Amino acid sequence: MTNSHLRPIPTPEVSFASATGLPAVYLRGARKSFGQNEILRGVDLTISKGEVLSLLGPSGAGKSTILRCLATLDKFDGGELAYGSLRVCTNDPQGKAVYDREAMYKARMKFGIVFQDYNLFPHFSVMRNVTDAPICVQGRDPEEVEEQARGILRKLGLAERADMVPCQLSGGQQQRVAIARALCMNPNVLFFDEATSALDPKLTEEMLKIIRDLAGEGMAIGIVTHEVGFARDASDRIAVMLDGEIAEVGKPKDVLGSPRDERVAAFLSHSME
Amino acid sequence: MELSTMTSMLAEGYVVSMQIFAITLVGSIPLGALVAVGRLSKVRPLSWLTSLYISVMRGTPLMLQMFAVFFVPFYVFGRQTPPSYMFVAVIIAFVINYAAYFAEIFRSGIQSMPRGQYEAAQVLGYTSRQTFFRIVLPQVIKKILPAMGNEVVTLVKDTSLAFSIGLAEMFTTSRALVASQRTMVPFMIAALIYWLTCLLIELLLGRLEKKLDYYHD
Repeated sequence: MTNSHLRPIPTPEVSFASATGLPAVYLRGARKSFGQNEILRGVDLTISKGEVLSLLGPSGAGKSTILRCLATLDKFDGGELAYGSLRVCTNDPQGKAVYDREAMYKARMKFGIVFQDYNLFPHFSVMRNVTDAPICVQGRDPEEVEEQARGILRKLGLAERADMVPCQLSGGQQQRVAIARALCMNPNVLFFDEATSALDPKLTEEMLKIIRDLAGEGMAIGIVTHEVGFARDASDRIAVMLDGEIAEVGKPKDVLGSPRDERVAAFLSHSME
Repeated sequence: MELSTMTSMLAEGYVVSMQIFAITLVGSIPLGALVAVGRLSKVRPLSWLTSLYISVMRGTPLMLQMFAVFFVPFYVFGRQTPPSYMFVAVIIAFVINYAAYFAEIFRSGIQSMPRGQYEAAQVLGYTSRQTFFRIVLPQVIKKILPAMGNEVVTLVKDTSLAFSIGLAEMFTTSRALVASQRTMVPFMIAALIYWLTCLLIELLLGRLEKKLDYYHD
C-alpha cells in the first residue's frame, strides 16, 4: 500500500484533518533500533479524534520508545508519522525515515504529553507552569491564557493551588498540573506515559474520569501503560505490544476477553494475576 | 604611629583589594560561562582545549600564574612594563584562574539538570535559547549558589596573593606596617577586615539562598 490518500494533502490546517476524517495520529511501519537491538519492527498505529487508545505490553516491548518517537523526543529509523494532515516524517525510497523539521515543530503544538514523572518546572508556580509556554512559545495574550488556565485548573480541581510550586503538591496533583500544562497549549492529541503508575485506586478512578471527559470533548488520547485493568476501563481500543510489534489491537473486551494471539494471552494472564 | 593612621593606610590597601575582588568577579563569571559552554560543547577540539585550560588553571598555583603574567612581557617580548601593569597583571591572572573554577561549577550545575526538564521544554515548543534562560538557568543558579559562595569568599582572601608581586593591596600594606612599626596590630586589623568582608558576603549569599528556597526539586 502506498498511502496515496496522504500524498496530495497540502500544508496543515487544524480543522482539515477532522473534516477529512484523517486520524489524529497516524503511524505506519515504524522501525527503530538501538545499535544491533531492534526495538520497533514495523509498528502501525492510529488514534482517531475522541478516541482513547492504550498501548499495553511488558517492559522492554518498545512502548516507551514508541511514545518518545511519537513525541518527537527521539526519531524513528523508518516509517511514516502524521498528526492529522501534518506529516512529520515520511519514508525515502530506501525506507529510511525523513523528518520535516518544520512539521516536527508544528506537531509539538498539536500534541501534549504527560510524562511519567511529570517533569514540571520546579521553579515555576502551578499557574506559570501552565501559562508560560502558551505565552512565550505560542505568543498568545497573557490575560487570555491565564483565564483559560484558571478554567483548566478549576476543572482539574487545582483552582486553589495556582500559586503553589510543584514541590508543595502531592504526586496526583502534580500529575494534574502536567495535564493542565499540556491542555493549555490547545492540543488535539494527548499522550500519557504510565498514567497511573503512581496513583492510588481513588486517584486512578479520578484519572479515568478525566481521560474519558477529554475524549468526550474530542481529544485523541494515547496511553502507554502496563496496567491491564486501567487500559480496559479507559480505552476504546487496546493495542498489545510484544517484542517491538503490535501483536493484537481491538476493543478492550475482544483483546482482553478472547485474545487471538497466544503470546498476548500469555502476557495478559500473567498481568491479570 | 597612631592606630588611626595605620587604619587609614590599611583602608587604602583595602580599596585596592576590593578592586581586585570586584573586577575579578565581573571578568571571571562571564569568561567562566564561556569556558563551561566550550567544555560542554560537542565539538571535540573545543571541549578538549577547554578541559586542558581548566586543568592547567586549577593545577598550578595562582601565585605562579600571576608571576607568569607579570613577567611575560619582559622575558618573552623584551618589553619594559609601566608600573601600572602590576595591577593589570594581577587582574588578568585572577580572572583566568577564577574563570576555570567557575566554569567547573557552571558545568556541574548544568549537567545536574534532569533530562526530563529539557524534554518537557522541547515538547512544549521552547527554543533552546528559551529553554536555557527560562528553565535551566534559574534552576542552575540555585544549585550552584553554595559552591559559588565558597569561591567568592576564597577570592576575598586570595587578593592578598597580589602581595607577592608587590602590589600595594591591604596585605602588602599590613606587612610593611608590621615591619616598620614592629607591632602585630596591623595584621590583626587586616585579619578583622578580611573576616568582616567575608561575613558580609556570607550574609548576602545566605539571604539570596533563602530567597531561592521557595522551591526544591
